Amino acid sequence: MNYMELLGALAPEAIVVLTALVALAVDLLVLRQAPQNARQVVAVSITAVGILAAIIALSVAAPSPPWMDGLLINHSTTAFLKQTLLVLALVAGILSIQSRFTQHTGEYVTLLLLSTVGMMLLVSSDNLLLMFVALELTSLPLYVLTAFNKESPSSSEASLKYFLIGSLSAACLLFGISLLYGLSGGITWTQLATTLRAGSEPIVYLALILTLIGFAFKVAAAPFHLWAPDVYQGAPTPVAAFIASGSKIASFYMFARIFMAALPGTAGSAAWSGATPGWVPLVAALAVVSMILGNVAAIAQRSVKRLLAYSAIGHAGYALLAILSNTEQGMGSLLYYVVTYAVTAMGAFAVVNVIERDVQAPNGESLTDFAGLSRRSPLLSLCLLVFVLSLAGIPPLAGFFGKFYIFIATAQSGTSQGLIWLVMLAIGTSAISLYYYLQILKQVYVVESVGQPTPVQLRPAESACIVAMACTVLILGCAPNWLINRFSPNSTEVRRAGVITKPSTTLELAAEIHPRITAPLGTATGLVQKRPQFETTTANAQ
Amino acid sequence: MPSIVNYLWLIPALPLLAAGMIALLKQRHRSLSASLSIGSLAISLGLSIAAFVPTLGPIEGGGGVKRWVHNLDWFEFGNTTLRLGWVLDPLTAAMLVMVTFVGLLIFIYSVGYMAHDENAARFFCFLSLFAAAMLGILISNSLLLLFMSWELVGLASYLLIGFWYHKPSAAAAAKKAFITTRIGDMGFLLGLLWLYGETGTLLFYDNGNGCLEQSALNRLNTLTTAGGMGVATAISLLLFCGAAGKSGQVPLHVWLPDAMEGPTPVSALIHAATMVAAGVFLIARVFPLMDVDPANVAGSSTALSVVTWVGAVTAVFAALIAVGQNDIKRILAYSTVSQLGYMMLGLGAGGVAVGMFHLLTHAFFKALLFLGAGSVIHGCHEEQDIRRMGGLRRQMPTTFLTYAIGMMALSGVPLLFSGFWSKDEILHAASVWPVSRLPFYLGLFGAVLTAFYMTRQMFFVFFGKQHLGKEAHESPTVMTIPLVILAIAAVLVGFWGTPAWPWLHAYLTGHELHLDLSALAKSATLMLISTAVVALGMISAWRLYTRKTPSSPQALDPLEAAQPAVFGVLKNRAYIDEFYEATVIRLNHLLSVTSDVLDRFLWNGLVQLVSLMAIALASVGKALDQFVINLGFDGWCGGLKQGARGFARLQNGQVQSYLRVIGLSLVALVVVLLWERRR
Repeated sequence: MNYMELLGALAPEAIVVLTALVALAVDLLVLRQAPQNARQVVAVSITAVGILAAIIALSVAAPSPPWMDGLLINHSTTAFLKQTLLVLALVAGILSIQSRFTQHTGEYVTLLLLSTVGMMLLVSSDNLLLMFVALELTSLPLYVLTAFNKESPSSSEASLKYFLIGSLSAACLLFGISLLYGLSGGITWTQLATTLRAGSEPIVYLALILTLIGFAFKVAAAPFHLWAPDVYQGAPTPVAAFIASGSKIASFYMFARIFMAALPGTAGSAAWSGATPGWVPLVAALAVVSMILGNVAAIAQRSVKRLLAYSAIGHAGYALLAILSNTEQGMGSLLYYVVTYAVTAMGAFAVVNVIERDVQAPNGESLTDFAGLSRRSPLLSLCLLVFVLSLAGIPPLAGFFGKFYIFIATAQSGTSQGLIWLVMLAIGTSAISLYYYLQILKQVYVVESVGQPTPVQLRPAESACIVAMACTVLILGCAPNWLINRFSPNSTEVRRAGVITKPSTTLELAAEIHPRITAPLGTATGLVQKRPQFETTTANAQ
Repeated sequence: MPSIVNYLWLIPALPLLAAGMIALLKQRHRSLSASLSIGSLAISLGLSIAAFVPTLGPIEGGGGVKRWVHNLDWFEFGNTTLRLGWVLDPLTAAMLVMVTFVGLLIFIYSVGYMAHDENAARFFCFLSLFAAAMLGILISNSLLLLFMSWELVGLASYLLIGFWYHKPSAAAAAKKAFITTRIGDMGFLLGLLWLYGETGTLLFYDNGNGCLEQSALNRLNTLTTAGGMGVATAISLLLFCGAAGKSGQVPLHVWLPDAMEGPTPVSALIHAATMVAAGVFLIARVFPLMDVDPANVAGSSTALSVVTWVGAVTAVFAALIAVGQNDIKRILAYSTVSQLGYMMLGLGAGGVAVGMFHLLTHAFFKALLFLGAGSVIHGCHEEQDIRRMGGLRRQMPTTFLTYAIGMMALSGVPLLFSGFWSKDEILHAASVWPVSRLPFYLGLFGAVLTAFYMTRQMFFVFFGKQHLGKEAHESPTVMTIPLVILAIAAVLVGFWGTPAWPWLHAYLTGHELHLDLSALAKSATLMLISTAVVALGMISAWRLYTRKTPSSPQALDPLEAAQPAVFGVLKNRAYIDEFYEATVIRLNHLLSVTSDVLDRFLWNGLVQLVSLMAIALASVGKALDQFVINLGFDGWCGGLKQGARGFARLQNGQVQSYLRVIGLSLVALVVVLLWERRR
């Protein structure tokens, strides 16, 4: 173990931490007296430089072997996810320029970046300990950021709720992973996977449930979603956007990895006839409740941010389908889904941010503030159209293919299409969701604005971000293969990454316990057969 | 190759451009639009002369006609390239100069004639379009390009004849002209397609590969169609249908007299220089094709025999009708039909040069006559009935003199006037036609009639007592100057083609030209006959109308008094229109009524039945929709909204209850798992 090598492997995260500290120092030491706008521009510029450096560091870094029993893993998928997270953090930073919710620019940027570091660590950990630390590093700055609008009571209230519920969930998670450790005697995925079996002891199920609650809170899956509408509405919009996008990617990735890779022996089945206990039926329950509750409750909302919160709950339900499919294909579709969803949600929040600034209503924006937007700003309306239709899953936008891949993966995963009922339900709730998405577009394109339509003030950087995100959504929808192939089980990169994260052991065990997992993983199992030496060395190491 | 060949396309393009520009102008810019028209045509005239000059030079490398072509690819489909092009040869060059020259004079004349019309700008737009289309026909080296220009001419003539569209008769005449010529054009199009099918090209001349060149003609010569008729003959006859429609040959002549409803310069343009000449020009252009006939035994191909006969019959028939007309422009119109018959006769019996010579001379003197008639009409306050005129020679001396020259040229008064020489050539060709002598006699009879009706018209208009209520006046200078120029031309152009010095003949056919006074002597007999014929016609008319000049406009014509039945037939244009009315149009009407009845009762009934069934089905569906699906759906939606409100109520903002939900969920999940396990 060489610490310099560790630093090399952690270079992107180190750069981001350094950027956070530099931004804080510059703001507090140099620009204390400068006008607010200048401070924001400088802070965001420093952020941009740091983030670009981190992105470059990620793209040139070679995949490294796992450090310290999976404490830190790096491969192309984690690198891509980290880059996406960094870009989203940068957009959130750009969106907060010129906003008036805080005077503490340095602290704001620092917290944003620290939260990003937490997310980056979260996606590159195969270890329960680092996972928990990273999760807390992600969450704590977000609690503070939610409260950053000191003038708004709802901001503090939301933050407190977020913190309280988050604490309870973290407690559950901690309890859950301590049980897992106690049951298995290990903290890495490999150790967990080799030890834990379904049906051994009831305490395993308690551990599963507690762990699940921790993640269900993070991804805002019902019934652990209750914080989400209040936080999305109360938090400053750029923060809400970051919570809805970056935090979702990292949490979903870890969610899927811990259950798929570390707990394959306790999966169970959610088939319509013949469900067996395990985490899959639990996730299925959460997915069903999320899809129904999120999509139905969104209909009654009058605030677009709350509407997006409920829409996020519904989308979490769809993403949970990918997790419970419990296959590599499901993993690929999940990543495609959360990445495109993050970009789309970030774009939608960016538009909301503009409108919110434009109306300056004391209680935040409402649906009627979007009336006649198409005459006030055709560009913004067009981008919003792209985002909303993508959320609704209209081809050829990215949201359509996200749902499509998830439904395919889910439908193919169960024995004899046992999970098809979940897909049917998902399609039905998608149809319901169209209603409230079109409500937004109706306001934008059909309803006349009150009084003379005045042009919406747009900053160049902001509009460039929005247009870029709209184009991304369109391009990812038109060429979905580009993204999905990065996560596909056939991709050489993932295969290589799979070798590094020692999937052979996992897969072998999985095949032992659940023959159905191996069916879609022909290539991966082929890989196992091709590398007998590798397997022996692993066995020896254990 | 002279460089002008590459720029030949400019000649039609300039008037077309002018037409486009005028179309974009406002109606009140009349002088600007007139200047644009006249200017563009003047440049075209200059270019035409520039194109004419190289064709005059000595023929390089021995015999044959000088001909330069410029072909270009238009578009490709599959392996086939459709090519268009233009050609410069004596035929094109001579016609270009004639059309641009006469056209220019007509344009200038129109400035005066249309001075009081509020739509003068539109008029000049149409005139320019007309000229452009006609010039396009002349330079085409592709039957397709020619056909396109041909149709444009048809369109422009439709627009011009119907220029005073508020007059129902003008609108009807425009329609009639368009539809009648379309009937001929149908044949033209079929011929064009057939020709393309057989030869694979529509270019006339293409370095030996064109459809009028030897290889294609040889191939066509070997082909026969059903009934032993040569394919070339069949194609030629189809093309002749188009020419007959445009050039008003019997039986498609009916539109031409009605076209007099247009403004007089239009009449002149249609009759003298452009539209009617187009048909004759087409026959002259495709003459090599017409001449091909595998069954050519009698010395003339079947197609050319048909042309000759149709021409001869038209010449006499139209001349007869002209005798019975009282409208100054209608007389000229039938005279034109008759003269076109002569041209066809000349083409069929004597070849390109003979027909074209008469076409060129006729263009000048008929333009002169029409413009003169226009001047008369203008001076008599839009009066067109010759019986209401009379004695105008004093009020309108210039018009009278120039009109007299035109009249003598048309009648064929010997030696001095162009019509004499060109008509004499036609009669000479007809007299030696190997197939039959009858066309020659018909031509002679037509010449008598021509002299007769023109003399009659002169007497009515310019001599005798004045019947006009109002004071007639001479036309403005802008109108009389073209008359004078045309009158001079009407005299001079005849000398291009005298038997002694057949310059035009040599020019068009590429033969050696030499002065041969003995040729005059050879044709002296014929010239004497022709002189006698003209004298007969003029003297009989003179005797008839000076002796018994009708005392009042209402009085009977002396001829009518003598032979009321015959004159009645002539006066009513031989009842051809009525005949068509009773046959073709009635048949058409019958067909349309039948179709209407079928459509209304049979098909409509079926459609109604189907639609009733559809409505019945639809009402069943509607009932289902309303009472089954809608209620269910509404129920669903209501439930959804209720649910939405319920879920929203769950979000009561109390963090304690949020935490309680989490606790309860934890318990619920445990219960679920344990229950599942127990099972």
